Amino acid sequence: MSSTSGPDFHDMIENAPCGYITLHANGRIEHVNLTFLTWSGHAADQMVGKRFSDFLTIPGRIYYETHIAPLLRMQGFFNEFAIDMLNAGGEPLQMIANASERRDPDGKPLLVRLALIKATDRRRYEQELLAARELSIAAEKATQEVLRLEQETSDLREQFIAVLGHDLRNPLASISAGARILDRTVQSEKEHQVIAMMQTTVMRMASMIDNVLDFARGRLGGGITLECEAGKPLEPALTQVVDELRLAWPGRVIEADFAIDQPVNCDRVRIGQLLSNLLGNALTHGAFDEPVVVHAETRDGSFELWVANVGEPIPPAAIKKLFEPFFRGKTRVNTQGLGLGLYIASQIARAHGGTLTAISTPAETRFTFSMPLG
Amino acid sequence: MPGVMERNNAHVRGPSKRAMMFAHGFGCDQNMWRFVAPAFEKDFKTVVFDHVGAGGSDLAAYDGAKYASLSGYANDVVEIGTELGLKDAVFVGHSVSSMIGVLAARKAPGMFGKLVLIGPSARYIDDEGYVGGFSAKQVEELLQFLESNHMGWSTQMAPIIMGNPDRPELGQELTNSFCRTDPEIAKAFARVTFTSDNRKDLAGVTIPTLVLQCSEDIIASQEVGEFVNRNILNSQMIVLKATGHCPNLSAPEEVIAAMRTFV
Repeated sequence: MSSTSGPDFHDMIENAPCGYITLHANGRIEHVNLTFLTWSGHAADQMVGKRFSDFLTIPGRIYYETHIAPLLRMQGFFNEFAIDMLNAGGEPLQMIANASERRDPDGKPLLVRLALIKATDRRRYEQELLAARELSIAAEKATQEVLRLEQETSDLREQFIAVLGHDLRNPLASISAGARILDRTVQSEKEHQVIAMMQTTVMRMASMIDNVLDFARGRLGGGITLECEAGKPLEPALTQVVDELRLAWPGRVIEADFAIDQPVNCDRVRIGQLLSNLLGNALTHGAFDEPVVVHAETRDGSFELWVANVGEPIPPAAIKKLFEPFFRGKTRVNTQGLGLGLYIASQIARAHGGTLTAISTPAETRFTFSMPLG
Repeated sequence: MPGVMERNNAHVRGPSKRAMMFAHGFGCDQNMWRFVAPAFEKDFKTVVFDHVGAGGSDLAAYDGAKYASLSGYANDVVEIGTELGLKDAVFVGHSVSSMIGVLAARKAPGMFGKLVLIGPSARYIDDEGYVGGFSAKQVEELLQFLESNHMGWSTQMAPIIMGNPDRPELGQELTNSFCRTDPEIAKAFARVTFTSDNRKDLAGVTIPTLVLQCSEDIIASQEVGEFVNRNILNSQMIVLKATGHCPNLSAPEEVIAAMRTFV
């Protein structure tokens, strides 16, 4: 373009890289530029004099009449609105538009100018975003539903475990009570031995039930829950466990040595269960003619409880698996447990923020529970 | 819980005892009336409000079940009327609010003494022996467009209205509320608007009624307006020179003049 002839306005309008349409104040088309005619496939004389809304899809028409036209009137302009026009084949032409009014000095509208840009890709992108949003809403709903079902199942399981525990322990209590009554009347040493064996079995059974129920809870439900009481002394709970096992294992020596001089914030029943499991394990696997040693103390800001026995050392390969559920070392068939005792003990240790470790040498096998006091 | 007036963002102006209540249609809010309502403030107590879900209404009060029918909107109109103790008032309804007014007039006899229906349609979908202007398929397309394109709507809903040097009277307070609609609510309102059938309700209107019909209204055609006029006992119709669907904005003087002949 030469500086003397000025800008080529005709070219600027007709071949602008956007559609350009002007409407009379009554909504009829006054002018359509070449770009829009090319995009739409309409001829100029097909559009001029017609209502602008005739070239909109039905949704586009309603949107134009109910939103764009009112806003144009109130503001004088409306920027960045989406509008679906129709091409000569009646197919939607997705556009983004700006519109502004030209007014006379009294504010009466003279015409409306519309600049239109094709927005097919942008609309597709928006629809993909929408679809993604809807998918994510659907996924969220599905997750919520699964969670809800899971919660129901979990509640049911808790009930089941509670009922099962109760129903399994009651008959054991009856057997134990019956054995105690018989123990008072039987005469022979042999009969007393049988009754003692029954009590041992009852204890082992009770401990297995506890472990199984804890395992079920830990694996399937809420995990091991603690009822910590820092104020109450721990030692009597430990002593009781030792006494019970002494009673159940007559002829075995259990040496207990407690030095707990600081309060231990723990669940005493759980720590008792941990000790019972460790002690039961030591009595089962340790040498029968050697004592099992139990030691507990508070020292250097931590509580430590260990159980040691003499006996064949645990092979290094087995040490790693000791605390896995259902792990069973080589042992006599009639004393075999479920292989849950050490697993549950380690879970109790973990629930207390502590550790349970095992060291096994030809001289001694020792399980140590340690938890911080603070 | 906010009161009825807060819920519907209702505003009352003018000292006169006889009231004129303005109800906006689908797409905008009470701003629709800003060129019309002030003209009546001298002779009437004017009441403008937003339907719940539109403009400055309490969006928390939006109840999908209640507003799934025009009756829910009509109940709100009656509640506002009751709150203000309206008697023998003039109800001016634009677009879908015409039918909301018809329902409200039936629900609360005596509250409204006259109805002005601007661009009314008793049913948008064509039926046997009835021209609504849209086929069921087209309305379904509209609703699908709204379903699948509400992001477009939400961007359309949020125009950046900075200052407006041409129309300073509109003021800055409109910047955020002008025709603002939550996209989900807009969809629901579109559904109830365009799928309602209130043809049978027209017969229950006994108060004097004025139908204001635009020329070339593609949303509510002349046939549709004539149907309303014909089926309301005491109705008259004025065809405006104004084109489009919103003469209250595009030709307020003509609307005001036509209304004055009636009220």
